[in-house]
Parts: sequence; C-alpha cells; structure tokens
Amino acid sequence: MFIWKKRGRVFNPQEIKNVSWLNEFAQAPSVLVFDTFVRVYFSCRPLPDQNGQYVSYSAFVDLNRSNLFEIIRVSKEPILALGERGTFDEFGTYPTSVIRKNKEEVLAYYGGWTRCESVPFNVAIGLAISKNNGETFEKLGSGPVLSYSINEPFILSGPKIRKFNDTYYLFYIAGNKWIENDGKPEPVYKIRMTHSKDGINWTKADKDLISARIEENEAQASPDVFFHNNRYHMFFCYRYALGFRGKEKGYRIGYAVSDDLLNWTRDDSKAGIDVSEEGWDSEMISYPHVFELDGRIYMFYLGNQVGRYGFGLAELEGTL
Amino acid sequence: MKWEKLGRIFNPVEHILPNQCVEFAQSPQTLVFDDFVRIYFSTRQVDPKNGKFLSHIAFVDMDKSFKNILNISGNTVIELGKLGTFDEHGIFPINVLRDKDKILAYTCGWSRRVSVSVETSVGLAISDDNGLTFKKTGDGPILTSSPNEPFLVGDAFVRVYENTYHMWYIFGTRWVDTADEGAARVYKIGHAVSPDGINWQKEEGKQIVSDSLNADECQALPTVIFSKNRYHMFFCYREATGFRKNRQRGYRIGYAYSDDLVNWTRDDEHTGIAFSEDGWDSDMMCYPHVFSCDGKIYLLYNGNEFGRYGFGIAVLKD
Repeated sequence: MFIWKKRGRVFNPQEIKNVSWLNEFAQAPSVLVFDTFVRVYFSCRPLPDQNGQYVSYSAFVDLNRSNLFEIIRVSKEPILALGERGTFDEFGTYPTSVIRKNKEEVLAYYGGWTRCESVPFNVAIGLAISKNNGETFEKLGSGPVLSYSINEPFILSGPKIRKFNDTYYLFYIAGNKWIENDGKPEPVYKIRMTHSKDGINWTKADKDLISARIEENEAQASPDVFFHNNRYHMFFCYRYALGFRGKEKGYRIGYAVSDDLLNWTRDDSKAGIDVSEEGWDSEMISYPHVFELDGRIYMFYLGNQVGRYGFGLAELEGTL
Repeated sequence: MKWEKLGRIFNPVEHILPNQCVEFAQSPQTLVFDDFVRIYFSTRQVDPKNGKFLSHIAFVDMDKSFKNILNISGNTVIELGKLGTFDEHGIFPINVLRDKDKILAYTCGWSRRVSVSVETSVGLAISDDNGLTFKKTGDGPILTSSPNEPFLVGDAFVRVYENTYHMWYIFGTRWVDTADEGAARVYKIGHAVSPDGINWQKEEGKQIVSDSLNADECQALPTVIFSKNRYHMFFCYREATGFRKNRQRGYRIGYAYSDDLVNWTRDDEHTGIAFSEDGWDSDMMCYPHVFSCDGKIYLLYNGNEFGRYGFGIAVLKD
C-alpha cells in the first residue's frame, strides 16, 4: 500500500470574496509548473440561478513553488467563456486538464455542459489553446474535439491529457446508462481512453479500462495517470450510482496499474488515501491529481461535496 | 432537366400506421426490390407525456407504377433510443441502402434540449430481414458534432462510389435569436468519406453547396445520383425564419452538380420542378429523394406543411 501523508487544504474558494463567478467549488485541480510557482487550474461556480441550476467556469490559482500553501494570485477572469446558444459548452466548462504543447502553446481539454429535456445534462470534450502561458485560452472551434460514438452515447467528461512517447493520451469518462431514479435520472460512467498524434484527431480505445468493483453501476471519474518507475499508475475516484451525496456511498479514491496504458489491474487497497476522521475531507475524497515537483510526488484532491470547499494536498511517503 | 409530376402517391391520414402515428409522412426514401419499391418515411406520434411529437420510421410498399399500395408496415421498424440517447425523441429521416449482403440505414436521431429545441446526430442501423426491421449498431451516433460543426449533424445520404463510402449530410452553423420565433437554426450541406461506412472523415465545417438566398439560408436533405457522367444533387432550402407560413420563405427544391465529388456548382435554374398552382404541393416542396428504378429516374418529395399530408413523385423526362 502506498502512504499518502495529508498536508491539509490548500485552497478554499469560499474565502475568495466579491467574485461573482467564483462563489464556491474548486473542482478537478490540474497543475502547470513554472519556475517559481505552480499554476493550479480548477473549476468553480457562481450562485445557482432561480431554478437552482449552476453553470461552471474554469480558472487558476498560482501557488509558491517552494511553499504550496502560499497563494500568490488568483486569475482575474475565467480562462474560458461559456459557449454560444445551442453549443456543447453553453452551461459549463468543467473539468479542465492542461498540458504544454511546446514553448509557445498550452492546451486545455475541458468538459462542456449542455442541458437536455429528458435528462438534466450532457457533456462533450472541448479543446482550447493558450499562447500566453495559460493565462487565457481560445477555443479550437465552437464544437467539441471529442464527442459521442456508437459505444459512448453521452457524457464524455473528466478529460485528463497526458503525453507519453510522442503520443497524446486522453483519459476520460463516458456514460453508458441513465438510471431512471424516480424522475431524477442519474448517469453511470466508466473510464476510457483515446490517443492522438496531433491532439485534435483521436482514435478511441473503445473499451472500459477499469473494472467495476463496488457494484455494476459504479460511477468512475478523474482517471489521473502518472508514469513512474517504468509503470503507469492511475489514481481515480469512484462512487455508488445512487445515494452518493453522503459519506457512505460517496466518492473514494481508487488505484490501478498498467504496463501498456490499455490493460489495467485495479487494486484499490493500494490507493493509500481515504476520508479523514473529521474536517473538510471527512465524508468523501475525489478527483485526485498526481504530480511530481522538485523530487517529491504530490496529490491534489477534493474533499466533501466534491470540492465545494476546495482542494487539499497529500505527499507520497516512499515510492510508487 | 424536366420532371413530370405524377401527383401525390401517399397520404398518411388515409391509413393506419404503427406506433400510434397519425399524420406526417416525411422524407420518403426508397429500397428497390425486383417487383416492388419499399418507401420509408418518418411519421409522428404525440408523446403522451407532454404533447410533443415523436418521429417514428414506417414504410409503404408500392408497385412499380407507384399507383398501388401493396403493404404498410404494421410494426416498429426501428426503436427510438433509450433515456438520454441521441435518438430518444425521434428518427427523421432515414436513408437506406444495400451494401454487400446487408441493408444499412443511416438515421437522423433527435433529442430535445433546453436552451434550443433540439439536437441531432447520425446513427447507423442494420437489417437482416430485407428492411422490415433494423437493429442499431449501438446506443450512440456514428457522426456527430465536431470543432467546426458544433451541432445539428443530420440528414445523412450515403452512396458508394469507386469503393469509397460518401456521405452528404447537414450540420448546424448557428442558432439565431429571434423576437417571435425563439431560436432559429441555420444549417448547411457537408460531406464525409469512409472506407467501411462506419468510420468517417469529415471535410470538417466545409459548406459544399453555395448559398443562393443569403448567408442564413438553411439547406437540408441532400440526395445524390450519378447519371450521364455527372453527379447530380437535389436538396431543399429555405429562409431561416418565417418559413412555416410564408410560401416565399419556405422550402423549395434546389440543385447542384459535380464532376469530381469535390467541387459542386449550384444551379437552381435547372432543378426542373417547382410549386404547383394549387393542391398539395402549392406552398412548399421539401425532402427530395432521387432514385432509379427500371431505367427511369424518379424524384420523391414532400409538399405543403413539411409532409403532414404525405408525399408525391415525379419522373425525369429529359
């Protein structure tokens, strides 16, 4: 079993005052490392509308590289505008995953949210490009870069972009079922992968990567892949299909390992991180993001209510 | 080109249709057999949950004079999609073709949205009972939105030329906010190719037929036939708004031709078919389907009110 030592909460969005689009939630942290600071992208929300419905934006916070608990700056505006009427990202841009393409460009893959009549929402994955070190991004187009297909009928979300051996790999989730649930449908989604040479044209693996463990309809999210000691390590989160908004059936962090990116062996007993006895991450932990910084391996993760109260940091003791 | 109208050949309100459908026989498309022609169309059920329409596929078998009805589908031809899928609220239209030992159907699936009325994508279904019923290849679409085709991918028409599958289809370019008609959609004709009919490469956001009305012209239902060493495309087009009641702004049939399947020349003057003085196709003509049968070339199409009262046929004279 790995041992993650929790270091505490890094960013609580509720402490930011007077920014209407950043009222609460700091979800799905994703880092971009600079010489003196670490830029952490996250997704946040303004107050809900009169029908109780949210939109979501993506933004970033810069942390001191030598002290990740020191906030240097919060982005003044969201990094992406919501889409125009009828487009896939009209009601949200969440979550976002970033990668440096080269010295000039940073790529951001993000989930774009639309609202449907028979089910509450649908999601497809968009691409936006930054030419100013990730300060602001321009969308590749008004439509998605990864969308639905025969065996991935809806909810393509949770993108995590990686590059291994000159090939881009995008890990994401795809919905396969909506459970009726007394008129409040809930989706089931599983972890999947696609690869690309240029980051624009993708070839889907077209298979579920991670077998379900707690129940057939287990929902899986945040497939965060990290290469270390010649193996691919995936930390992700999973929950029950229904009744997941409390502690008992809510998100936990799982683990799988692979030598070829396509075949994965799940072993949650190794994950090495769980809910705390009390505090901001005592009911659920989710959306892990693992990264290496100055010789140490860290994980950002969300606590209760899937990041409503921000994200925290854990540090690996030992090795993967 | 000169088309001779043979008149309306099917009026849905005169028949009993499957799936509790009552009106509409839209976008007729054919599968030609030795001794009859099967004509698929989209008809509508009122959704008991909310009074909105659900489009279903049905068919009518006619003899080759197109004067006699031999059979009408009594059962579901293809199921609508499950909760939350792209074709949950309707399939309209359907394009059917023989491909080796199979019969393929490219469907346009509809699902309702909140900020706009609808979203569409193209699905693929396969029949192994001569087109009586079709099974979907999966719950999701085979062609859908992409960076420069952000929504409303639909109206597929597929033909195989020189071992390549060609699909002509439409994609949305924008939703226009209007004062009295809500959000009005604009869509154009695009093109994709495939080695197997399943994996498609789009030209990605390229409008292949130029506008004749204005930039907001809506172009729909491309249908293509190869004849006399040239590819001929028929389609329908209209203004983006005011098209339901005003015959000056509603659907009519357009025409374009190509010698290479890459460049198309629009030439509506040679469409060779126009509104009648009065009757079922006097205010609107839409959803053309061109096909050959026993050496003749025919055009199926809908008339007034988008085909609420059926479809007619014309034969090419010249």
